[in-house]
Amino acid sequence: MHLTLLTLAIVGYVAATGLALAYLVQRDELLHRLAALATLAAWILHTGALLALAIDLGRPPFSSLPEAVSVAVWVVVLLEMWLERRYGLSRLGAFVLPVALALSLQSTAIRPLIVPALSGAWVWVHIGLALVGIAAFVFNFAGALMYLLQERQLRAKRPGALYYSLPALATLDRLTYRTLALGFPFLTTGLLLGVLWAGAAWGSVFAFDPLALLSFIAWAVYAATLAGRAVGGWHGRRAAYFAILGFAALALTLGAGLFLPGKHGG
Amino acid sequence: MPLFVAGVSHRNAPVELREQLAVDEDKLREVLRDIAATGVVREALILSTCNRVEVYAVAEVPGEARAATFRHLCSHRGVDSASVDTVLYTHTESEAVRHAFRVAASLDSMMLGEPQILGQVKDAFALAQSCETIGPALHTLFTQAFAVAKKVRTETEIARHAVSVSFAAVELAKKIFAGLVGRGVLLVGAGKMSELAARHLIDQGAFPLYVANRTWARAQELARALAGTAVPFDELPTALAAVDIVIASTGAPDPVIKRETVSRVIPARRGRPLFFIDIAVPRDVEDTVDTLDGVYCYDIDDLKQVVDANIRERAREAHRAEALVEREVAKFLVRLGDVEVIPTIVSLRERLEAIRVGEVKRTLARLPDATPETRAALEAMSSAIVNKILHAPITKLRESSRAGSPRSWLELVHELFGLGRGRNE
Repeated sequence: MHLTLLTLAIVGYVAATGLALAYLVQRDELLHRLAALATLAAWILHTGALLALAIDLGRPPFSSLPEAVSVAVWVVVLLEMWLERRYGLSRLGAFVLPVALALSLQSTAIRPLIVPALSGAWVWVHIGLALVGIAAFVFNFAGALMYLLQERQLRAKRPGALYYSLPALATLDRLTYRTLALGFPFLTTGLLLGVLWAGAAWGSVFAFDPLALLSFIAWAVYAATLAGRAVGGWHGRRAAYFAILGFAALALTLGAGLFLPGKHGG
Repeated sequence: MPLFVAGVSHRNAPVELREQLAVDEDKLREVLRDIAATGVVREALILSTCNRVEVYAVAEVPGEARAATFRHLCSHRGVDSASVDTVLYTHTESEAVRHAFRVAASLDSMMLGEPQILGQVKDAFALAQSCETIGPALHTLFTQAFAVAKKVRTETEIARHAVSVSFAAVELAKKIFAGLVGRGVLLVGAGKMSELAARHLIDQGAFPLYVANRTWARAQELARALAGTAVPFDELPTALAAVDIVIASTGAPDPVIKRETVSRVIPARRGRPLFFIDIAVPRDVEDTVDTLDGVYCYDIDDLKQVVDANIRERAREAHRAEALVEREVAKFLVRLGDVEVIPTIVSLRERLEAIRVGEVKRTLARLPDATPETRAALEAMSSAIVNKILHAPITKLRESSRAGSPRSWLELVHELFGLGRGRNE
């Protein structure tokens, strides 16, 4: 049941992504409305899939990494719909949905683990916090990407479709700063709890698996960016490049967790 | 509706002719009253702008009326009507509706989406109203034209992007800074054009404003006019560190803002972007300045390029606007058509209902013992018969009006059911 729903949801996300990208270039309001509709439909199916999975397992559906990533996608899409409406960021979907889609594809590439990889209250908190952090960094990445594209348009001095579609540089810079400031504490606390728990469960804080190791690289990039912005007065392009670097590390982290053998499943 | 529009516009009439025909407000009243006095047209409105002179009117004989209205206009303006005939266009019925909608929505303007035309149409409407030459037909038409124009403005981006250099600069500033409230502006040089651009920025909330000029007195004068502060020319670097937008327009032969100067103020700006609008020729800002991080510089050619792109953007949006107008014309015609057949439908219903009530009464008079159930059943049955009989003709009437040819059907229904000749013969 949950796999059928999840497959349908992914089909919906594919359609929504395609429509959102088409809207970015074509700027036809009809495409925008269709994309919004497809996003909502896919998200509802996704909700159904998660509920079905929770009922099947008899527990919240995020104690293995693929499940947790699926929940992260669910949160990201919900936020995307809200932000788009709330701040009139009609092109946000074109930058967030492809990431959401890629993550949701990843999470189905592997059978969800039947036996939870982890257990205990600390683990739930660890996963929950990391989830919120990842969701925030998806928007951080999208904001940075939009910033760089709009910046290029302004420097080229030849307004194209993106110049008209994308928001102002200051708006995008604020979006990346805020998502960074929001996501970082979550990621930090999530990682910290992971370390403590790993120490308690496996007897050594240094019994790291690939995901844990890579996640510290991502954390370091984000920490440097935040420090640069808060203290060094970083703005704009440099901050955007770092946001993209950080997200690349985060994506690698998730990829490692999903595909390499280690303590996070896979 | 025997509606028509006759006129000349920038599309085919040379400016000399439009100038001759253009009518000022006082004269317009005179011409309108004259036209109304001929009795040829039932309603009339004259739209006279520098790009078009048009008469919108309602008359049963459009060809004749059109000649008459324009003869009036021409004789008033002392223009030989023969010279007008070659460029005069006329539209009738649905074409006239479409024309009115397109004109009001600025789709027929020289600059697509320009905002003045709607105001001009509204003025023309108010003027005709004050001359009492607006009747129900033109009232419905123009009220709807205003609504359509508004819809086009809000639902398409036809009027969105700047088509003047100074507004394009303001738009670019908004694409960099989002809101302009509290953004500092520095004018380098005190020309007319930079003053205009500065005023646009101030309108958007930009503040504070500094003026630097070689001639100190002129700097002070302009600073006073714009509620800003004059700064000595050699304190440019200090001012550069403080503001967000610089408008340069000096007559200097060499750049007055050097890359080196700008790169030195960058650290103090702590990453805040700096936007140069260089409208001077030769240019005031060294052209390598915008390779600096967070620095954007648009010279006059760049701004013109943005304006060109904006105009193309408006043309693109015009396609969507035309489709919107087309839908609105269709809706309007349906509504008008319905307006035409509704009185007939109402009297048809009244006629059959009168017959039904009369017959039921007569029948019941002959059935004094009828129970309330029997009476109710009789009422229900007779109502059902009436409704079933009415269904086909009413549907046909509505369909015919939608197809645009209700007249023969209206006549037929009137004949068949004896409408409009008293209730009972």
